[in-house]
Amino acid sequence: MLKLENLSRHFGGIRAVDELNLEVHPGEILGLIGPNGSGKSTTVNLITGVYAPSAGSLIFKGANIASDSANQRIERGIARTFQNIRLFNNLPVWKNIWAAQVVRESGWQGLKQRWFASASEARGKTLELLAFGDLSHKADLLAGNLAFGEQRRLELIRAVASGADLLLLDEPAAGMNAEEIDDLNQRIRQLKDAGKTILLIEHHMELVMDVCDRIAVLNFGQKIAEGTPSEVQDDPHVQAAYLGDDSTEPA
Amino acid sequence: MTATDWLDLTQSWIDGVMFGTTYALIGIGFTLIFGVMHKINLAYAAASIGAAYLSLLVIELVPTPLVYLFSAFAGGLLGALIYFVCFRFIPIKSPLATLMSTVGMLLVIEELMSHLTQGMPQNYPAMLTDLGLEIGDLYIRGDLMFVFALGAIAMVLLNLLLKRTRLGLATRAVAQQPVAAQLCGMGIDKTNASTFIIAGFLGGTAGAMVGAAIGVLSPLVAMPITVKGLVVTVIGGLGSIPGAIIAGLLVGGFENIFQYWRGVTERDIYVMLLLFVFLVFRPNGLFAPPGGRD
Amino acid sequence: MDFYFGLAQVIGIHTLLGFSAWCVLQTGQVSMLQGGFFAIGAYSAGMLTTMWQWPILPALLVGGLLAGIVAVIVGFPALRVKGLMLVVATMAFAEVVRLGFFNLTWQVSSPDGMIGPDGSLGFGGIRYFPSNGWSTLEVCVFIWILVAIVFLVLGWLDRSRAGIIWRAVGEDELAAQSVGINLTTAKVSAFGVGGVIAGLAGGVFAHYATHIEHSNFNILLATFAIAYPIIGGLASLWGVLLAAAFVQGFLIEGLRFLGDWRSLLFGALIVVVMLVRPDGVLRRREPKAGARHA
Repeated sequence: MLKLENLSRHFGGIRAVDELNLEVHPGEILGLIGPNGSGKSTTVNLITGVYAPSAGSLIFKGANIASDSANQRIERGIARTFQNIRLFNNLPVWKNIWAAQVVRESGWQGLKQRWFASASEARGKTLELLAFGDLSHKADLLAGNLAFGEQRRLELIRAVASGADLLLLDEPAAGMNAEEIDDLNQRIRQLKDAGKTILLIEHHMELVMDVCDRIAVLNFGQKIAEGTPSEVQDDPHVQAAYLGDDSTEPA
Repeated sequence: MTATDWLDLTQSWIDGVMFGTTYALIGIGFTLIFGVMHKINLAYAAASIGAAYLSLLVIELVPTPLVYLFSAFAGGLLGALIYFVCFRFIPIKSPLATLMSTVGMLLVIEELMSHLTQGMPQNYPAMLTDLGLEIGDLYIRGDLMFVFALGAIAMVLLNLLLKRTRLGLATRAVAQQPVAAQLCGMGIDKTNASTFIIAGFLGGTAGAMVGAAIGVLSPLVAMPITVKGLVVTVIGGLGSIPGAIIAGLLVGGFENIFQYWRGVTERDIYVMLLLFVFLVFRPNGLFAPPGGRD
Repeated sequence: MDFYFGLAQVIGIHTLLGFSAWCVLQTGQVSMLQGGFFAIGAYSAGMLTTMWQWPILPALLVGGLLAGIVAVIVGFPALRVKGLMLVVATMAFAEVVRLGFFNLTWQVSSPDGMIGPDGSLGFGGIRYFPSNGWSTLEVCVFIWILVAIVFLVLGWLDRSRAGIIWRAVGEDELAAQSVGINLTTAKVSAFGVGGVIAGLAGGVFAHYATHIEHSNFNILLATFAIAYPIIGGLASLWGVLLAAAFVQGFLIEGLRFLGDWRSLLFGALIVVVMLVRPDGVLRRREPKAGARHA
């Protein structure tokens, strides 16, 4: 579904992403891990269009998307969550979802929905997703007033609301306790069952090893290992990268 | 163009650049406050002119250089006042509120200046008016040279303050990482207040110099100086002091050239166009800001 | 009674001006340009009725449309400039517009002599209302019908797709982009709609005042424009109306007792309101605990 071919991104002399070759197959959960500074966030930003690549190509569903703008990529079917939660804090929960939905509706029905639907109709359309996120009872609260775990769930369902086939989850487990991580684990599986493809960037090793079909490991902008969770766990390069016996720790 | 035209052009440029030190000082003031608080104090230029007005109180009492000093002190005081009224108590999440508040202050100061003087321009003393330097056919006005020198001294002093004193260190630290600075024991409110006072001091100097260079003080001059000061800050780069200095001198010089070329009524249109050229090609200004946050 | 109708007319015009700033503020852009669009509408509509005998409604609509077109054109470069720099850029451009009208001279002959804008002397003789026998009450009702229509249209926009998109962009641009919102369309459309409304307001103003000149369209006007939504509380259109009514009513009534001090009072009023209610008078949310100070 998503193919990165020799993808590179330089910042001055720093090669944040260095000739990266990566493929995400439809319907799978691919984990992307690596020490801090290994280029994970830059890769996500390259995929979503925050940065343009310095070299290489980005192919999504067979088409080269490197020149698409950020919102065009959503139309193609890529959505993301953010490491630092970026919700529309002063809007109610249901409007956070509606914002993602309203852009997608097209055609005559869409026209009617976008311009002439009443507030209750619009709200009604968000209820299904809110139920999936267990946020139905909080639909009218302002997003900024939710608890941390709820805000993470809202970000997740907002990404789903944009109708994307590929979900990029950027450290969704950061700051969560064990219970919340279990919950996240369930939800990710449910999304996979619903047919979504997921690229999971994470530090939380237990979660990654448990939920991912395959894992790719980055270090210094390059892929140093790829395979099933057990293959990756036993890979000496990966161990060296994380425990840093020979290489210098990146700043 | 004839030789005379070139001469006139050069003369305009020189006069403009020397007056440009006032713009540079105002630009530095805006940029100092922006650098520390990431907000603009729109009342700054008006307060600077207001400080010069306040110094009129002592005009009969002390020699001229002390009048300027009084203006500087008055500027510092006004700076502290503005900090307390417009910034200190407004939550950090409401940038629009401080913006509006400083606009309100700007109106108050402008109107006060107008009312207290019945709108009549007030004479302001200049120094070294009878002196001048002749270089060939070019004449460098003594009073403008004094303005230039005073501006340069103020900038050097500011640099020393920022680089060599604890207060300067605190100011720069708070600008770059307010939370970390607080954790290191620097009082944010005190540092911010000091920044406003220092900027106000500079502003008072600038206000005095504007008065000295033009010869009169008028409330009508507050708005154009505000706009030009902001233009200088933006061209120089928000948060960059060297940028403000260079941009100030440039704007001063170009302004005079535009005036020579198209007259006073159209001059400002071209100054604004200069701003737009910069915004299109270098939206971050000449120099990137030191803290690098915005 | 006529006095009160006149007051109601002014409040109506300022409400429209506030609505125009409200649109742009929804997307998080602070525009000091609404006064400029107001001016474009004023001069165009005035010229159409006075110099070419157009009826009032088409003239107003064309004035609004012209202002809207300029707003869209300005909206594109405005995309490159964010936050405070946008404030400066729009302030500067507003000055350019004002200076442009300062220099505008375009007159045609008529049975009463030469009519039309006359440079610094302004544009007088916009006498559509008196010439056509409109009473003060009729003009007042006309203005308020316009206000009601714009209010309903904006309310509808707010509840529909445009509204949620504008607000999302105003809340967090990066997040908005990542749910598929096209930032350019959102921001430029807000500018455009705001421009049309400001132009309408300006056209009405020209006919209310019968004589307009460049100094009517200064920074003070731009400040009024953004003050109403900010003071009223950005979430609400009613807030704009209340703020405009309160400010103009207070200033014009206050005029009777305090004479010329009204601008100063306006400034002081803004400062006080921002201290007491930094998020606007009619705000939606509760203040969060532990808010840091500016």
